[in-house]
Amino acid sequence: MMELLAQVEYGPLAVKPYSTEWLIGLIVTFLLAAGAAIGLSKVPANFRRPIVSIGTFLCGLIYVLYWLWPRPVNLKPDQVPNGMVEQVGKGLSDTLPLLADVANILTSFLLGLGVYSLARIHFGKIIKRQSDRGFSWVLIVSATMISVFGFVDYILRSQDKAGKLVDRENWGFFNVGQDIMFDGLLLQMDSVMFSLIAFFILSAAYRAFRIRSVESTVMMASALVLMLSLLSPIMFQWNTMIAQMAKGMNIPNADPSIPYPGGFFHNLQISDWANWVKGNLQTPALRAVDFGILLGALAMGLRLWLGLEKGGVSV
Amino acid sequence: MIKEKLLNIDRRILYGLLILVTVIPLRCDQKLNNITDDYSNAFYEAVSNIPEGKTVFIESDWTTSTRGENSGHLEALLRILMAKKTKFAIFSVGDAQAPGVFRGVLLRLMEERKTLGLPAYQPFEDYVDLGYFANAEGTLQAIGGDVRKVFEKKSIRDAEGKQRSAFDSPVLSNVKSVGDVPMYIVVTASNTIDRAIERLSAKTTLACMCTGVIGPSALPYFQSGQLKGVAIGLKGVFDIEYLMANGLNLETKESVKWSKQPDKTAQPITVGKTLDRGNRYFLSFMCAILLLIATVVTGNVMMFVARAQSKPQGDEA
Repeated sequence: MMELLAQVEYGPLAVKPYSTEWLIGLIVTFLLAAGAAIGLSKVPANFRRPIVSIGTFLCGLIYVLYWLWPRPVNLKPDQVPNGMVEQVGKGLSDTLPLLADVANILTSFLLGLGVYSLARIHFGKIIKRQSDRGFSWVLIVSATMISVFGFVDYILRSQDKAGKLVDRENWGFFNVGQDIMFDGLLLQMDSVMFSLIAFFILSAAYRAFRIRSVESTVMMASALVLMLSLLSPIMFQWNTMIAQMAKGMNIPNADPSIPYPGGFFHNLQISDWANWVKGNLQTPALRAVDFGILLGALAMGLRLWLGLEKGGVSV
Repeated sequence: MIKEKLLNIDRRILYGLLILVTVIPLRCDQKLNNITDDYSNAFYEAVSNIPEGKTVFIESDWTTSTRGENSGHLEALLRILMAKKTKFAIFSVGDAQAPGVFRGVLLRLMEERKTLGLPAYQPFEDYVDLGYFANAEGTLQAIGGDVRKVFEKKSIRDAEGKQRSAFDSPVLSNVKSVGDVPMYIVVTASNTIDRAIERLSAKTTLACMCTGVIGPSALPYFQSGQLKGVAIGLKGVFDIEYLMANGLNLETKESVKWSKQPDKTAQPITVGKTLDRGNRYFLSFMCAILLLIATVVTGNVMMFVARAQSKPQGDEA
């Protein structure tokens, strides 16, 4: 089975792109996939759970076997695997990129589903003439325009053999349109949305960051150390001053030009305090949190793989 | 009256102050001093010492919302690679919008090279753009298994405009497995670095350039040696640019001295720009942090003053 799967060619993709064979293959594949999707939706409710569970188990099994099964070492592409163990190992290795392609296509369907869902909701609002349909018009028109301009710009750039489009003087209508819509509008608005956080953080920190308990005092002290350590030009001057003091007191190896204070004076460097907080408090805490999360993910993964999870499959 | 006002500063005043302290320093283009972080030093040392003729993989998983940090990361990284004439393959597994964004950065750097009179970095010959892969888990697992099968179906145009397999390009022709890639660098605004570590850390050397928010979760991997280096947030951009301008552990006066690893050295970049976005934005960033510290301190001082004044006289006795 593995050997068979490993030999699977990508029907429509194995031929020359945009040729007649490619187009026919694409249509046939689409019809087959649509047929399979319709067929699965007509399956009686009591069979749905076993079908999903078996599919999940088989897909998961390939990854588990890939992890556990020994694989041939340094096997060249034209070399035949020796014996059943090597054959299965090679088959698993060859199947993995195929599964990655399937997973990529399935994930792309999610993007398509998102676009479909958005279009359905907003076209519905426009058709029903709801009061806020103006926003739906804005969304539909801007999404269509940015898609068309982006796609035409992409094709023009792909066909630009001599690299003329690197110069703005050679840009045409669609290149300029794409630049205005993507770089000029979308990019800037996205950045503006994100930069608003800075205003809220400042206002919230001023109002909420008050020393009212021991815990908040510890938090404030560590936050202050970390924030001060980020001001590296100021910290550079501070460290230079400490190193000069150390040199004045004849501390061995003290060198203000690096700056390197040496000896006890190292303890006065705020950047070192910050490194201590990061290395000895923050990182171990995060590692502990990660460890807990990953144990939970392992348990959840096992439950999903073995079909023990009751939710998630509509019956 | 003033005490009351300082205890409850109108948020519009705070917003106005923040705009002022971030916008005004942007006009200042002064070279700043810096104390570089250990993980930034490790990153620069690792990228600077990539063997000649090898190809680097760049996974660019950020979009416009984190442009302030990640754009600087990618620009600095590409400038280092271009200065050293290192070939690279760039792709994304994190966001469908990401390829459009990294193509914008590439275009900007091409224009910059042209302005500076530097030779163009040619697609297909010097770098390949492999686009977007929708499923991070599956794609990275497959890259770890057989990188050729993942990328061989990607067709890209050569210098003559012909559609060819990505593996016909000199960039990927010598890559048989991900182990042939000396460094796999993730530029990210999300946790895609976790996926890369899970799937690839045993097979190649990983490094990361991430936002300040993601930084703390990347540091355990640096401490454990799974990441060769990390550049975190705007400080990371500034660190890398500073190291590009001054070098690491060299005999020169300007060179950064990394006292924990004195034997590791890296030359400065002498071709093209070095100090750019990181140096330009850092003064604004510093002023914003100072404003944050000042407002928090003011709020607390005024709270204690108000509390002391509201205490009944008998308590003091």
